[in-house]
Amino acid sequence: MSSMQHLAPRPGSETMDVKLKIWRYDSQTGERALKEYEVEAPDWVTLLDVLDLIKDRVDGTLSYRKSCRMMICGSCGMRMDGGAVLACKTRMYDIVRAGHVPVISAMGNLPIVKDLVVDMDPFWDKIRAMKPWLQPGYHEVPEQEFRFSQEQMNPIHKEALCIMCGCCVSECNSMESDPDFLGPAALAKGFRFVGDPRDQADIERLNEYNGEHGIWDCTRCYFCNERCPKGVDPRDSIAKLGAESMKRGVDHDLGAKHAKWFVRSAMTTGWLRETELVPKTQGVVSAIKQAKFALGLARHGKVPIPVPPHVAENVSEARALRGVIADQGFDGAAGIVQGERALARIERTDAGGAKRDIAEITPGKEPAPAGH
Amino acid sequence: MQKVAYYKGCLASLSAKELDTSTKALAPRVGLELEELESVTCCGAGDIHEAEPDYYLHLNARILAYAEATGADTLMTVCNVCTLNLRQANFQLQNDDALRARVNRNLETVGVPAYDGGVEVKHLLWLIAEGDGYERLKETAHRGLKGLRVAPFYGCQILRPSKLLGFEDPDRPWSLEAIIEACGGEAIDYPAKIKCCGFPIIQAREETALGELIQPIEQAMEAGADVMVTPCPLCHLSLDAWQSKLRDTTGKDFAMPILHLSQLIGVAAGIEESELKFKRHVVSVRPVLEKLDVI
Amino acid sequence: MEAKHDVLVVGAGCAGMRAAIEAHDAGADVALISKIHPVRSHSGAAEGGINAALGNASEDDPEKHAFDTVKGSDFLGDQNAIQILCDEAPEDVYQLERWGAVFSRTEDGRIAQRPFGAAGEPRTAYAADITGHVLVHVLYEQMMRRELQTYEEFFAWKLVVNDDRCQGVIAWDLLNGGLKSIGAKTVILATGGAGRLYTGTTNAYACTGDGMAMALRVGVPLEDMEMMQFHPTTLAPTGVLITEGCRGEGAYLLNSEGDRFLERYAPNTMELASRDVISRAEQTEIDEGRGVDGNVLLDLRHLGADKIIDRLHGTRELSMVFAGVDPIHEPIPVRPGAHYHMGGVDTDVWGQTSLTGLYAAGECACISVHGANRLGGNALMETITFGKRAGAHAAEWALSHTTVEVPRSQETDAERQLGRLLDRTEGERPWTIRDELASTMHENFGVFRRDDQMRRQGEIIAGLRQRYERVVVEDKGELFNTDLTQALELGFLLELAACMIPAGIERRESRGAHARPEDYPSRDDASFLRHTLVSWRDGQPELSWEPVTMTNWQPQERKY
Repeated sequence: MSSMQHLAPRPGSETMDVKLKIWRYDSQTGERALKEYEVEAPDWVTLLDVLDLIKDRVDGTLSYRKSCRMMICGSCGMRMDGGAVLACKTRMYDIVRAGHVPVISAMGNLPIVKDLVVDMDPFWDKIRAMKPWLQPGYHEVPEQEFRFSQEQMNPIHKEALCIMCGCCVSECNSMESDPDFLGPAALAKGFRFVGDPRDQADIERLNEYNGEHGIWDCTRCYFCNERCPKGVDPRDSIAKLGAESMKRGVDHDLGAKHAKWFVRSAMTTGWLRETELVPKTQGVVSAIKQAKFALGLARHGKVPIPVPPHVAENVSEARALRGVIADQGFDGAAGIVQGERALARIERTDAGGAKRDIAEITPGKEPAPAGH
Repeated sequence: MQKVAYYKGCLASLSAKELDTSTKALAPRVGLELEELESVTCCGAGDIHEAEPDYYLHLNARILAYAEATGADTLMTVCNVCTLNLRQANFQLQNDDALRARVNRNLETVGVPAYDGGVEVKHLLWLIAEGDGYERLKETAHRGLKGLRVAPFYGCQILRPSKLLGFEDPDRPWSLEAIIEACGGEAIDYPAKIKCCGFPIIQAREETALGELIQPIEQAMEAGADVMVTPCPLCHLSLDAWQSKLRDTTGKDFAMPILHLSQLIGVAAGIEESELKFKRHVVSVRPVLEKLDVI
Repeated sequence: MEAKHDVLVVGAGCAGMRAAIEAHDAGADVALISKIHPVRSHSGAAEGGINAALGNASEDDPEKHAFDTVKGSDFLGDQNAIQILCDEAPEDVYQLERWGAVFSRTEDGRIAQRPFGAAGEPRTAYAADITGHVLVHVLYEQMMRRELQTYEEFFAWKLVVNDDRCQGVIAWDLLNGGLKSIGAKTVILATGGAGRLYTGTTNAYACTGDGMAMALRVGVPLEDMEMMQFHPTTLAPTGVLITEGCRGEGAYLLNSEGDRFLERYAPNTMELASRDVISRAEQTEIDEGRGVDGNVLLDLRHLGADKIIDRLHGTRELSMVFAGVDPIHEPIPVRPGAHYHMGGVDTDVWGQTSLTGLYAAGECACISVHGANRLGGNALMETITFGKRAGAHAAEWALSHTTVEVPRSQETDAERQLGRLLDRTEGERPWTIRDELASTMHENFGVFRRDDQMRRQGEIIAGLRQRYERVVVEDKGELFNTDLTQALELGFLLELAACMIPAGIERRESRGAHARPEDYPSRDDASFLRHTLVSWRDGQPELSWEPVTMTNWQPQERKY
């Protein structure tokens, strides 16, 4: 689920029978089994509360991580029915009411140690690869803070929310195919520095993040945004890194060339000129290597003949538009950041379960202002 | 008839013309009157969003403005990527007055009408699955699918991020299945139906992309599908055209035919080959058509 | 012995990481040991902010900060320690910002500061409502930069005392299993609080007072253990924290009649009175029938959606997920919950304990800067300033001493003791004891205290400790055996609870968090302007007293 869930039911005093199936696993023995559990629980419980009840009352050998139980420590990432969730954020009421018995398992894209506990080392290795500290280093005792306005700091306000739970990595489609892909969590951490006006290593960072397993490895499946329990939207962080790379001229990667060609197409013909995509992206040599494949496509009209070019009506407007906005200060990542205010206002307050009518209680006569 | 502005996007304009012709042929039979937008460009396909995001926003605002100018309240798309790009831009413009004002000033400078935020972007799939279209399907799809085993492939950007798309549960979508069943086919279930086809990186990172592409095709095959159907021409291109590369790398010949959504319903509705244009596919659709006694 | 270091920091929250960084920068070979990954530490759950007299939002200076803290402590805080905290705080905050902490900003680009309870000036620097989270992550970044070694998911169980010095730690390796001993010339305890003594607590599951109990067991006394702060705004049923920052931004507290009831308890400062005052006011309203299902209401609606989304985003998320309430449209039901232990391991202003080589910093320590009641925003500041000081002192000591030795006999003793626990196959599982302890502590040692209840609680704890002697650990495996570590944590909690009882009974007055409205309703400076100290003798707590250090401020009546 996305960061703002439907409103959960308010805590009541009823209990319910909760059933779970849990994939148990022991990496020492290789034993694996899907076991079903049933416990009686208060109606307000989260998935984490249910796991606690199972561990206490049914099976003490069940292993999982937990700590804060309030969505900030990032310990309890796990899968429910194949999708990564924070167990402490997942209320069970609606699931139980629907008669569903969810299957709980360890997160994906990371080795399992035991039951719901994964080995996070590969995750942290990628975080460390981002050189995630403000540069240049600093040792002297400062006399005051760096002076930057809230507006200048806003580009990283979403990335600063990241709790490193790994939910975004769990279903990352590119990482399933390329385990070395730096992935959404690390790249979001990368933008946390590239987007920070205090950091002085942007170009060096962008060059590193544009490497073989970097930003252009992202396949835009948006599983990371979907799974992130904190609204970081790591895919958007990756796009921000892309936009900043282009702005700073770090555009050597095939992915960057591919993206640039879309801009060119939109300005000139309006529609993507797919015929030219392969040479523009991969260069002429590769294009020749791809020739046999391309011929096969051409036979079925998949590669339209470039002459005469298919030009959209009034495409001059689209071209002029690019000139008009060029100096308005929203180039690079700022072009994405400007939309985040609206995105933050996606409201989901439609769910029911209201048991009391406390909205009706309003303040009485306003007393004198507080002490200061 | 519901009048909708129709934005066909790059692929249906060029390499996937069959999507455009089949959509136009199908539309009236599911209660849609299409008003095709002409003065529009590519939505940016996520690439312009990543390269020059402010330009992406303006290009999409321009599309939305022309859609609004038709008087329709709905802009219909036939591509996942167009759907996400347009909905994202639309959401930002609708929910941030200052942003919309700046964009509108720029649009007006180049002679494009201002956008008031009065359009909703919906994919053809949603318009059929939620509205009158679905009720009409049983009648429209009179030829049926004769129990054809169809593997629905949603792809990504019609499901995720759900806060921008939100039509159905992104982990348990139902719309394609409902349509397949309504047309008389059998919907095949398999886990990768909501995963990525690899298309966005198929040029820059072919190996990684193929590692993604193989999953849905292989799983659909193992689940016994006769054919796959997708609401996205980019997924279609990937699944159909790049399938041969899987043969090159894995040695397996999947020969899995891939249909556009409009083609699947179209064939059940008895729409002519001249509109459905199956010959434009790389993987032959012939076994499917034989099963359906169309040829 | 697996390895040895100059400085070994136990716990990797703000205090632990700050201590490690300081010790490393002083040239020492440093390692951390933590039962959870550093960024999982409960410092990250601190929401509202960190207090330093930066003067960014008004004229302010460390003297004002110190006075507010002394008064807030109900004059039980040691004034020399408070002065150090307030003097060093601004520089320490600037340093965090220079390291990369993402603070919220003022119009002119400085660190933003918001009003907080019982503070005379808007002094609480903040990062929206995720200040602790931001600090934990910036400190971990600095750890990564220094490539500091961390024994992650190692459960510290025993301190090694040899030659009258603390020389290391014996720990259970959670990921791989097995006891491991790590030698060190100095050990800094930074293990946080013990909120898990209570049913309704803002504290994480990890907050089981491990460091306090380990110190207690090697003869180091605990100070002011009766002083458990109840935070006024926690969510039913489990006590999830709603930040004081809400009130700092202008939220109201209402009773069932819609009255801002603090008018009757703290008419000058209203919702920005100190936490002990507000928690008592709330509990009184609830007890007298003006609550709403056992809660009062925290009303943010008049702040408007923009302010709530921009500055209290996390609060909104917590309310929606755990209370089913969107604070833009409805008030949040809140009630007092156990939040912070002012008491802890008795240390001097460098974090030194009575045992050579053993230091403590952060919530597990009692220096004492919070006295009988901590001000919101002072806890994060304490972790940084006194973490730094403990790290510096421990490194200096370590670099001037050479030997480290973990006697084999201590390792075998520990193995034997653990073996006895793991070999037991019949008996009670620990959770029943844990739940009984937490619910009875809440009932008998809560916001208000009575002599008979505290005595009864002492008997209950004694009974639970007897039952604990026979508990059984069901998981006998090596991989991620939290069944075992949770049993060991319960052992820590039981001894800490036992320490709180005599301190609570014998403090025959009401001061700060220790409120006895029925028998001793007022503060008694003549008899009790002094700290309690509890030591462990023959398996039982033993109480003594220690004077409060006073420098500039004499006790006065405390009104808000």
